[in-house]
Amino acid sequence: MRPMIIPLLAAALAVSGAASAQDKTITLGAAVQLTGRLANTGRYYGDGYQITVDRINEKGGVTVGGAKYKLALKIYDSQSDTNLGVRQYVQLVAQDKVNFLLGPFSSNDALDDSVIAEKYQVPMVQGGGASTQIFSRGYKYVFGTLPPADDYFASTIKMMGKLSPKPKTVALVAADDSFDVSVANGTRKLLKEAGLELVVDKQFRENNADFSSILSLVKSKDPDVILWAGHEGEALNFIRQAKSLDVNPKLLYSFTVGVPTADFRKALGKDAEYAFGMTPWLPEKELKDDWFGDAVQFDKEYQAKFKYAPDYHAASAAADVETFAKAIAAAGTLDPKKVRDAIASVDFQSLYGHIKFQPNGQISLPQTVIQIQDGKVVPIFAEDFLAKPRYPIAPWSKR
Amino acid sequence: MQLFGQILVNGILLGGLYGLMGLGMGLVWGVLKIVNLAHGALIMLGGYALYYLYTKAGIDPFLGLPLAMLAMFVLGYLLQTALLNLIVRAAQLNTLLLTFGLDVVFVYLAQLLFTADFRTINPPYAGKNVSISGVVVPYAQFGAFLVALVLAGLLFLVLEKTRTGRAIRATAQNLTAARLYGVNPKRIYAITFGAGAALAGAAGGLYGIVSQITPYIGVTLTAKSFVIAILGGLDKPLGVIGGGLILGIAEAMAALYLDPTYTDIISFGLLVVVLIARPAQLLGRA
Amino acid sequence: MNRYRWLALPIAAAALAVVPWVTSDTIVQYGINALLVATLAQAWNVIGGFSGYPSFGNSVFYGLGTYGTAIAMAQFHWSFGSGLVFGAVLGVACALLFGIPILRLRGPYFAIATLGLAAVMSAITATVEIAGKNIGLILPLFRGDKLFYELSLILLVAATGTVAWIARSRFGAGLVAIREDEDAAQVMGINTTMYKVAALTVAALFSALAGGIHAYWITFIDPASAFDPSLNVRMVIMTLFGGPGTVLGPVLGAFVLSAVSEVLASQATGVASLFYGFVIVIAVLVMPKGLLDLVQGFRETGWRYFVDNLRRYRI
Repeated sequence: MRPMIIPLLAAALAVSGAASAQDKTITLGAAVQLTGRLANTGRYYGDGYQITVDRINEKGGVTVGGAKYKLALKIYDSQSDTNLGVRQYVQLVAQDKVNFLLGPFSSNDALDDSVIAEKYQVPMVQGGGASTQIFSRGYKYVFGTLPPADDYFASTIKMMGKLSPKPKTVALVAADDSFDVSVANGTRKLLKEAGLELVVDKQFRENNADFSSILSLVKSKDPDVILWAGHEGEALNFIRQAKSLDVNPKLLYSFTVGVPTADFRKALGKDAEYAFGMTPWLPEKELKDDWFGDAVQFDKEYQAKFKYAPDYHAASAAADVETFAKAIAAAGTLDPKKVRDAIASVDFQSLYGHIKFQPNGQISLPQTVIQIQDGKVVPIFAEDFLAKPRYPIAPWSKR
Repeated sequence: MQLFGQILVNGILLGGLYGLMGLGMGLVWGVLKIVNLAHGALIMLGGYALYYLYTKAGIDPFLGLPLAMLAMFVLGYLLQTALLNLIVRAAQLNTLLLTFGLDVVFVYLAQLLFTADFRTINPPYAGKNVSISGVVVPYAQFGAFLVALVLAGLLFLVLEKTRTGRAIRATAQNLTAARLYGVNPKRIYAITFGAGAALAGAAGGLYGIVSQITPYIGVTLTAKSFVIAILGGLDKPLGVIGGGLILGIAEAMAALYLDPTYTDIISFGLLVVVLIARPAQLLGRA
Repeated sequence: MNRYRWLALPIAAAALAVVPWVTSDTIVQYGINALLVATLAQAWNVIGGFSGYPSFGNSVFYGLGTYGTAIAMAQFHWSFGSGLVFGAVLGVACALLFGIPILRLRGPYFAIATLGLAAVMSAITATVEIAGKNIGLILPLFRGDKLFYELSLILLVAATGTVAWIARSRFGAGLVAIREDEDAAQVMGINTTMYKVAALTVAALFSALAGGIHAYWITFIDPASAFDPSLNVRMVIMTLFGGPGTVLGPVLGAFVLSAVSEVLASQATGVASLFYGFVIVIAVLVMPKGLLDLVQGFRETGWRYFVDNLRRYRI
């Protein structure tokens, strides 16, 4: 009954926060999709926020202008209903009077909810929305820890340039929601610059379950590479239907979601092999962190506490909380405007990576190309090759 | 030309499964005059039933289908007896609302019991296929298509040839007269709804093999089932399969020759056009 | 006593009008939402409650109003007022265009046809370039929730006033006649097609205006939220809960149910949707004629009211 735990915990925290007047608290608020259509990924955010807040408090909380503060978390379940989420954000700001805001999952929700942050001038650091739309409105109070959507395939395309045999033709299949359209637009530019030919460029309605027509078209064009952008459920369908229709890219296929996530690999079983993907985060020792030690520690503790492995969503969520901790301490005050300025100039190492925001509020992190080999996620390429890719990928008939 | 053939086959196979989805909804609507907004939830529950039969008990999905259907039949029978029979004679709007409430409850319970994780029913033959003169026919989709045809045929035979089936048709046409002939309406209604649920469950199980199951797949599937049931004439099993095929082929063709983002426009556009253009045939059933 | 009863309503309206100045921002937010949804319920009341044509697709008018306003403001850079008018025009045009063929259908077929219409419109909007396709549109940010609140209140008062007028007018009597026995009404000389289309148009007008206000208030719209299918069931259940075919029933039902669901969403988020489902099931079983009828029925027969309802409609 995990969904019950978070509001109960939040309630308990709130009560305890109110009861002990000596404990100074900074409350972070968010409406996250704990139930509903997006709960599958939404829970990474709720849990990521929780574990980070707890850890920061364990290590002494946040020092603001000489006084010690504890962090508190107030989370509502938006039930994957965007409109409800917006109302909950208003409640967080106007009624619960939280100090600062964390974000939901998904670009569409982040787009809507960030309006509240800007309207009420309360800083929001969100790690769930990557679409360029979020950051192109000139808002001052919204920051994001997911790298820009239009760059998602950048490292993959760079890698393709260094592979042998070198791919020449590409099929681009993307969903039509905000995030994936951004990805597709950016990818088209990158492909042109790299001199790759786009032989299939199809968009599908999000939540689509049937790819048979698109797959049959792709098969008839026989591309070297398939680049796919959408959500996890759709990716699952695409791969399984590709298998049953015996559609194989000549050289490789890559997906914007799913590959780094454990239950995706579990649902596909052996069919997940060879799939390429990308992630801005991997649990690596080199990612040092002031509170968790390093990303490996974070990964271990997260799994121990929540019984499932974190992926970049959870790490991004953790980074959001840490950003506030750093910025508030740097600002030396809880004043929203000053904290907002502190966030804009923040620059530190965390378990998620190097946190520094561009002028438009979005972080800039490179995506590491990963591949599923023997059921495991293997980092393949960042600036150069990190491991040997299994390339060209084996066609279905030979697996 | 080969691409066209492939798309046609894709559409036909998909259409079979669509037809199965519409079968249960059409039966319940045509006979009981109940518009079941929880139909998608029943599909979803059937999917989970088959999923657990496969993963926990190791029963092959196609063999486990009758078991899942039986479980769903019982569920449907109980629902009708305990709840739906209470509002059968109220305004039809009330059945819409009651079934909507049930849908909300079912989705919540499914989420609680099964979590939001994706579930796929992945028997070893799930990805295999056979190639016939260049056109690929996937085993799983083909199996689903066959099951849909068989179930539709069975339903047709039951309605035409068996005593219970005749009782069901009699109740659909004229409740009072049927009563005079000794039909027990409560029992017939419960059996009919149970059958509708069983068919929905079968569709769900097959859906889990070709796609995946979460607690939230119900909403879109209910909407699609409306289209299919209406296209097929509600409680005419063979017509509903035909309706499913029409929709499946139309969607597949539209995705290729128009644009994949047009599939919803096609499905619901068809619905609206059929309703507007053939009211005489349907009004007679109002 | 009766002479002063009519004062109750203007006083209530005035009390509602001062709410933004005496309560917190959250209440204002909740208020805007409740007022808009109450307007939708009241609009539905005209076509569903009075005329007996249960539309399950009024969200199409709401969505067209939302998009009309959004396109006007974001793409053409018109003012809010012009945007609202544009949205209303789109909604009314849809009602007139599709009303005639769809209103030929009866009962659940009409319901499904409207549902299909809403789905088609949503799907079409997601492919239209000027509407921003599936990504949606961003409107300019306006910090003025109090204004939106008052506008929504004015809209609800206008809708309720219209329904009050309909209830007393010949038009309304005609709609009720259509609801009770359409063939008899036709024989009696009522031009049923014209009456029905007029009813649908009135419903479309208010729904579209509600959508327009919603668009500017939310500042970001996309097909999924503008043509939100869950709105359809909500407006129906609220009207049913309050009392279909009455003047205040939909308003009452909307306020009560919104309050319940908001409280649940903020206090007991886990069980909110479960409770909502149960409420609907129980309401349909024991109070199918709504709150107002419940109050009267309870006065007359006490607890037997519920038992009677349970028994009345079963086979």
